[in-house]
Amino acid sequence: MSDTTRQDLTQGNGHVTNGRPETSHHPETDPKREDKHYYGIPPIKHAHWTWQIPVYFWIGGIGAGTHLFSTVAQLLGHDDPALKRASRYTVLVTMILSPIMLIWDLGRPERFYNMMRILKLRSPMSTQSWSLLIFGNLGGLLAARQAAEDGLMGRNALSGLLIRLIPERLLSLLALPFGLFVGFNTGNLISATSVPIWARNWALMAPTFLASGLSTALSWLSLVLHLTRSGEPKTLRALHRAERATIVIEAGLIAASLVRMSRWGKPLFSKSVAPLFVGGALLSGIAAPAALLFSGKQTRGKSILSSLLVLAGGLAFRFALIKAGRISADDPEAYFTFASDRSAPQPEDKV
Amino acid sequence: MATGFLTDTTVCIGCKACEVACKQWNQLPADGYEFTGDSYDNTKQLSGTTWRHVAFIENPKKKRLTGDIDLVALAEDVTEPLPNGAELDALGRWAFMSDVCKHCVAAPCQQACPTGSIIRNEFDNVYIQPDICNGCGYCVPACPYGVITQAPHDGRAFKCTLCYDRQVDGLEPACAKACPTNSIQFGDVEDLKVMAEERVQELHDKGYTQAYVWGTPEVGGTGGIDGNHSKFILMDEPETYNLPKHPYLPQEKVKGGVVAGAIAAGVLGAVVALAFRD
Ligand code: SF4
Ligand code: SF4
Repeated sequence: MSDTTRQDLTQGNGHVTNGRPETSHHPETDPKREDKHYYGIPPIKHAHWTWQIPVYFWIGGIGAGTHLFSTVAQLLGHDDPALKRASRYTVLVTMILSPIMLIWDLGRPERFYNMMRILKLRSPMSTQSWSLLIFGNLGGLLAARQAAEDGLMGRNALSGLLIRLIPERLLSLLALPFGLFVGFNTGNLISATSVPIWARNWALMAPTFLASGLSTALSWLSLVLHLTRSGEPKTLRALHRAERATIVIEAGLIAASLVRMSRWGKPLFSKSVAPLFVGGALLSGIAAPAALLFSGKQTRGKSILSSLLVLAGGLAFRFALIKAGRISADDPEAYFTFASDRSAPQPEDKV
Repeated sequence: MATGFLTDTTVCIGCKACEVACKQWNQLPADGYEFTGDSYDNTKQLSGTTWRHVAFIENPKKKRLTGDIDLVALAEDVTEPLPNGAELDALGRWAFMSDVCKHCVAAPCQQACPTGSIIRNEFDNVYIQPDICNGCGYCVPACPYGVITQAPHDGRAFKCTLCYDRQVDGLEPACAKACPTNSIQFGDVEDLKVMAEERVQELHDKGYTQAYVWGTPEVGGTGGIDGNHSKFILMDEPETYNLPKHPYLPQEKVKGGVVAGAIAAGVLGAVVALAFRD
């Protein structure tokens, strides 16, 4: 190194390690070196989301999945009053709670209506707000008719009018695409950010959220029907089969997501998230209920237990993803490796 | 006309006049007295209450200069070999960089904003309308450079306005006005582009071949962002200044995500339908 000149250095043929000149404050020029950052200060900012957002993801998914199941049943001509009742009221309650969670989370809750100022197809937050509004209102109408049918509004002229005026089949069908959108778009909501762990999984995030939402919804319906000892045997059998298939699809999608996230998926296995993700989402939310669903004869007790496990696991999964996103955003190494080559989504990438 | 900044880090002396001028003109609240212990920079980063941030990159070299060195000649930019094979950088380098919102050509924060609060104003700057923002915070993780945050105790999101109010009155932004070394230059983006290229050429001619412009579509604006209206002349890898090398437009994949979700919806609907078959 004794005859290195300044000229050599600036032209890159001085003290060269791995083909790169040594610069002043990066003694190591290994491309995989760990010290590429500004005192470890995060180069991007994490989302501020606390508990309201993962809880919203969870209840929104339950509402969407419930509506999917009951609408398919209706379309196939399978009319089970208990199923219909459970699903209509579930959609109503989830669609009342969802906007409450979302508005609670705003920095200026009193201005929530500005979400309805404009529709932006490129902003998942905007499309999510609109689809919630539409799905919530259609679901509300359906629940109103249900309440009238159930005599909750008394046997008066108004009830009769509601039943006659609200076209049940048409509204259920109309609400279906918006409900499904609510169910999967939460995945796009987190993947359309600069956060490596989320953005990396853009193609599988929406399907994973929908599958997981459907599995929590099926478990919810099965839980309600079993606890109230209602529901026709055919409904319960269909629920059971759907639960089995969905949990397998969900497990497959989560596995594929982990492969896709590769090194950027590490935060899911970090000390603070692993109990939620591995313990909550994978073991108690998928492995344990799958064992119950696929083993031997179905009993009421087993169904109730597996439903509870799936519901808890679904909630844990959403908390784990949000927490992992925070860790990912706060890690300069993750962001810089992600935004340095072709790992980040590129314009020409296709589904 | 599109206006923007050119921040030439090679002449920045780290006086932080821009930071102070910005805080004063825009009446931004203080961020508290926090001692980082990392460097003389205790501001750390851009945020909803800090719209200019001067980074201090103070990494001393491990190797030392030895022998009889003419420090005056060193400072005067000599290019002949140094005695004992010492490196010029061996004194350790203090690099400064005044960071600011990049005013992206295709701005991720603007695309994320569900209320339409973030717009492009008549100067083609990315501008948050404070009377519309409802503090959803979705622009915060969307920004590929960590520029925006929600101001505590206010809830809304804020960032550099490129001194919209001053521009309307024909004045240059407060930071550019205050900068004593002209490290921050304000003007028409097309003019700034030419100035940046000329300056980089000048630096190359002087032997600083590592100088380059960051914020062009090639560097600092790939993946759909199409470059930035705030350009920077840098002397080291972008990461050293806490900037990504190839940021991407997060909304690029929204359509793909919706298609994937719709396919999943179809498949899951079919699965549910099949489950009803006895
Ligand atoms: S740098 Fe960030 S805040 Fe500034 S325009 Fe780009 S995305 Fe928006
Ligand atoms: S916080 Fe304000 S500016 Fe940012 S995305 Fe939400 S509404 Fe738009």
